[in-house]
Amino acid sequence: MKVGDQLPEFAVPSVDPARMKTMAAVLRDPYRVHWDREATREMGLEGRVINQGPLNLSYIVNMLHSFSGPTSVRRLTVSFGRPVFDTDSVVAGGEISAIDGDRATCAVWLKRGDEIVVSGAAVIDIAHLH
Amino acid sequence: MTVVSPLGYRFPGGTYTIAHWENWLLTDCTTAEPLPDDLAHPVALFHVPILGAGTSITTLFEVCGAEGPGSVGLDGYDWEYMRPLRIGVEYRMEGGIVRWEQLVDERGNPYDSMSFSIEMFDAEGLAARITNTWRFRRRKIEDVTGETS
Repeated sequence: MKVGDQLPEFAVPSVDPARMKTMAAVLRDPYRVHWDREATREMGLEGRVINQGPLNLSYIVNMLHSFSGPTSVRRLTVSFGRPVFDTDSVVAGGEISAIDGDRATCAVWLKRGDEIVVSGAAVIDIAHLH
Repeated sequence: MTVVSPLGYRFPGGTYTIAHWENWLLTDCTTAEPLPDDLAHPVALFHVPILGAGTSITTLFEVCGAEGPGSVGLDGYDWEYMRPLRIGVEYRMEGGIVRWEQLVDERGNPYDSMSFSIEMFDAEGLAARITNTWRFRRRKIEDVTGETS
């Protein structure tokens, strides 16, 4: 493992609006844009509902888990640049940017095609990967 | 719309225990399989601190003057895990609104930027800490530039 290594990608071929509804219930999220197509029609978005930010981040987390295991995530610092809509195809990816002992810092992102919709950094525990 | 600054607003505080069912559904929403050993999916660090601190997305929208569909956007998260989150562990939460700025976006539309921080403790001490930043748009715009929550 070294700086510059790419992390294995995690793909979501089609973001599922049914999962947004379940997520809204789990989060107790009243924001209609995640589950009511009429709300996004009012916004001029042709009724496509908007994925929750935590779900967009979760695809990055799942990508990290597949690389370094389910107890490895120590810090996530992310910015949300663009919304993700139902039926969008997105891919989470990352690259190791620094290694300090048992911790690695990774640049992480979520892309829709070539467009970055979420970006940031993750710190992961890599003690068990040495 | 001008909203009285909620800077310094403190959440009531409280406790929260992640249930098996909610973690199962949450993890399914992420398109992943459940994690082993009663591990909670790390993205539980969105709703668990909010609800455990005795507040809710609804309350935060009210306090910050959300104006309807498209008026709330998500700017960023900073989440720290001192150790993995687990199902069945009672966590104690405390926190509040730590930042409030009146800003203008790249299109000239005004918005308020709000950050809230919550610390989450288990029997060993600090277990996790979050700072989330949301924007509250103050004028209708033609398209959206961010999602919630």
